[in-house]
This record gives sequence, C-alpha cells and structure tokens, in this order.
Amino acid sequence: MRIVRYTYPAYRSPATLLGRLSQSPWSGLESEIDRLFENALSSFADPATASNFPVDLYEDKDNTYVRAELPGVTRDDINVEMVEDYLTITASRKTTEAEGEQSFSLSRSVNIPEEVQADKVSAAYENGVLTVTLPKREETKPKKITVAVK
Amino acid sequence: MSLINALIPSLGRLPARRQGSAQADLGPTVKPVYEIKETDDAYGVTVHLPGVSKDGLEITAGPGEFRLVGRRAWKQPEGWTSLYRESNDATYELVLTHDNAINADQIAAELRDGVLRVSLPKAEAFKPRKIAVS
Repeated sequence: MRIVRYTYPAYRSPATLLGRLSQSPWSGLESEIDRLFENALSSFADPATASNFPVDLYEDKDNTYVRAELPGVTRDDINVEMVEDYLTITASRKTTEAEGEQSFSLSRSVNIPEEVQADKVSAAYENGVLTVTLPKREETKPKKITVAVK
Repeated sequence: MSLINALIPSLGRLPARRQGSAQADLGPTVKPVYEIKETDDAYGVTVHLPGVSKDGLEITAGPGEFRLVGRRAWKQPEGWTSLYRESNDATYELVLTHDNAINADQIAAELRDGVLRVSLPKAEAFKPRKIAVS
C-alpha cells in the first residue's frame, strides 16, 4: 500500500503562537518516534474494534443526557436499557467486506447519578451519535417554595 | 501512569507543531479513526466521524494529497452542564498523501451515520493489467 503514509494535521499548541521559530528541532524525530509507538501500540487501542466507545454525561434542569459516539451502527441494533441506576447501551457494528460480513459488539454501562423516571427515557441517533434523554424524578428536581412572610 | 509517561513521552506531552499544515484556523484537531483497504481498482478509505453532518464535511483532493476536515454539527446547548466527558469537541482532520496514482475526478464519498466511505479510484495507468504472451 502506497497511500498509507500519514502526514500529521495541524495542532494548536502554545508553541504555535511563536510561529515556526519555536518549532522544536526535534519535532521531526519526535514524530518518527510517535509513529513507531503508534504502530506498536495500535493493536491495544484500536477504537474501530474496541468494544468500548466514548460516552458523555450532561444535565440540565429537567433531564440528564447521555451522549455516546457510535459511528456506523444501524438503529435497529442499538439497545438501551435502564436497570436501577445503570444505563446500558449495547450496539453492534456490521461491516461488509469482500471476505464476508464482520460484526463487532459494543457495550457500555453508565452509572446515572440522579434518580430518573425509567419509563420516560428516550433516545435519538443522529450522525453516529446516540443521545439518551433521561427525565429526572420530580422529587429530585430543585423546588422553589415561596413562603409568605407576615 | 507516570511510569508509562516516562517510558513513552509522546503520551504525556502536547504534540509539537507538525510541518505541512496549510490551514491554521481550524483550532485543535484530532485524527479520526480510519482504515484503508486496497482492491485492484481503487483504494477504499473508511473514516469514523461521529457527530459530523454532511454540511460540516470538507474533502479536498490536491496533488498528491487527500485532505479531510470534519466539523462537529452538535454544540452543547445552553443550560446543559457537562458532568463527565470522554469525547472531545475538536475538529477532525485527516491528511493522507499518495503518489498521484489516483483518478481525482472520480473520487466518490458517502457519509452515513457518522461513517465516511471514500473510494479513490486508481488511475488507469496504475491498474494491473494482463499482458498476453505471444
């Protein structure tokens, strides 16, 4: 394969501000060494085949949100389950190759910090990102009580 | 972790500025997960770009270079507090160099569910051909 040589994209590091002058004389060597390790370690951390995927947790006043990056899975293969405090997302990614179909299973459990209404959980999948909306229980929402002072 | 960092300094340090960056206005960028497969007729590149929509994707095929920039379509709405993050918001950038053995007019790309499939057809002159022996 002759196309494979990867050229590094631009990074904005503090050094960039000073322009090319500040470029480390070793950066060429550094990138060679990085590439060596990248090649050597890639089999341990290949996200395409790893069964893990990155998950983000957000909240606002009414809901807790879980966003998971799941590129290339079909909607039907995504399963979202809520068991007690844990939200479990399972999915499978199927790739069709010349040699046949390959399938990877992906699974992840996230502990949801707040009590949610498990029956009102909804999920949407767009651009390879799954967003799960978990409405908070009424009791756990901050309440504002106005007390009349006489 | 510090032991690992001591052994492999590249894990702990900020990446040095690399050469050959044409666009400096992208901000921090990350290299997406990608895979290259070769057939007799074409190179197939599969790139994972979760969170990138069709509008945020830019593919440029220059001489000897294939550049891809993917901007994320989703921004954290106001009122959302992040409790825990694993992904990052940086723009994806991937630059692949090739030796001009590619027919740039017939590059086809398809983005579906955060996965981009690009087919880079080989130029006629570089395709393997059978030679009849007389």
